[in-house]
Amino acid sequence: MTEQISALLDDEIALEDAEHLMAGMQTNGHAGDVWSQYHLIGDVMRGASALSPNFKQNLMAKIDLEPTVLSPNAAWINEPKAFNESDKLNEARNKKQALEEKHKSSATHLPVVWSVAASFAAVMVVGWMVLQTQVGNQAAPAMVAQAALSQEVATLPATSEQGVPAEYLMAHQASAPSASSYYIQSASYTE
Amino acid sequence: MKGFVLACLFASAISSASQSVLAASDDEKWQILQKAALAAHALSYQGIFVCQSGQQSKSVQIKHFFDGQNEFARNVLLDGSPREVLSQGGDLIIYNPKNEKIVIEKRRGQNMFPAVLPANLAAVKQSYTVRTGDIERVAGREAQILFLEPKDDLRYSYRFWIDTEYGLILKSVMFNSRNEMMDSISFTQLNLVNTVDLDWFKPKIDSKKNYVMEDEVPAQADYNPSPHWMLKQLPAGYRKVDQMLRMVHGKPLPVTHVVFSDGLASVSLFIEPVTNGVKPRAGHSVVGNTSFYSSVAGYLQITVLGEVPEATVAAIANSVVFIK
Repeated sequence: MTEQISALLDDEIALEDAEHLMAGMQTNGHAGDVWSQYHLIGDVMRGASALSPNFKQNLMAKIDLEPTVLSPNAAWINEPKAFNESDKLNEARNKKQALEEKHKSSATHLPVVWSVAASFAAVMVVGWMVLQTQVGNQAAPAMVAQAALSQEVATLPATSEQGVPAEYLMAHQASAPSASSYYIQSASYTE
Repeated sequence: MKGFVLACLFASAISSASQSVLAASDDEKWQILQKAALAAHALSYQGIFVCQSGQQSKSVQIKHFFDGQNEFARNVLLDGSPREVLSQGGDLIIYNPKNEKIVIEKRRGQNMFPAVLPANLAAVKQSYTVRTGDIERVAGREAQILFLEPKDDLRYSYRFWIDTEYGLILKSVMFNSRNEMMDSISFTQLNLVNTVDLDWFKPKIDSKKNYVMEDEVPAQADYNPSPHWMLKQLPAGYRKVDQMLRMVHGKPLPVTHVVFSDGLASVSLFIEPVTNGVKPRAGHSVVGNTSFYSSVAGYLQITVLGEVPEATVAAIANSVVFIK
């Protein structure tokens, strides 16, 4: 399965022959993870800007939190202007809904795989817009930072027992590495 | 092919330099170091080097390729967890196994062995003197020893073994003032390669592990002078090379991070407001090759550390002046 996913990524399997793979990735969680991880590795190697960790999960959670807005105009009236991000999210979500409606109507003569692919594409549109708003929005990185911190505090001791606080040593090595620090790190760094 | 031609050029240049090394002037010795700095980037080579620091020692497999314009390198740790560092020009991607995950980290790379010398040696010349030593054999190759000795006690000394044919640094060792080895990196095997393909330039993928991007918030460049502090009388030879705002684990607000360098060694200075209800930290220690110093200036917590003697981190900490 893993090898076939890799082959599909490299265009070595034609899309029309990959229906079983698509279905497999839908139902098999591991295969789905492999698919997204191979994309991540490829993106990083090509120098494309990577999405934040758990991007998909965070995005879907945010979408779930949004109230269902039936009229696009209601979103503009009810939401305060300052929450630019929500506006765009709503707008994008409405687009997604519209897209899904479209697919429902044409679903009768299209294979299941295509409707899966289309809603995936719609998620990508939403994802891209959220990414854009986050870049432009000053508050968003701070929120991400807080979230990242609350995760790290639990795993990292405040100071290493040797007397050099690990958090400062890590910051130093990230921006001013010595030749050996790429390969040898303090015990607390490698966890 | 280009790599091979370059190699021949270097070979002739270095061997002519080493023949007259006993009578060499300082300029010629600096020339050898200058060529070593260039050779590390402009040659294509592969091999294994051993990295030693404190109580730890790790073997690393390196493959470095220069196609005449771009530089590619893959470094794989052979001991312990299979960490990989892939670099393209100055951009690094680190594949760092942590527990059941492989964390992908992106960094800006600098002074990765054997490219430990800066392209511009002007700053190094100000703070160090150069001296030649014996010819020794390293990784099966003939090497000329060059000493870089500090002009004061604010930095460590370095010893480089430089391939008399290729011009590459084969071994680099840092010593403190008591002549104790602080850290060392040395090739045990080295070959020039004449490759054109880039098939090898990818990480070995472990299909059983999850690959995730690190959740580190990138540091942001910060060139605005702060209204709360200024720097007075930096230790001789050290210059500010970078200033940024970064998140430090466990700190609620971004911390100002200033980097100083004398051309070879780097020191980090962290400045943050003293947190209400948290006792400010003051103290100093030396662990392995890293010196650490923390103090308080007015309402600011100052933290300094780097691969330099203790006197240097103390001097940098004391150069921060709190502005009321």
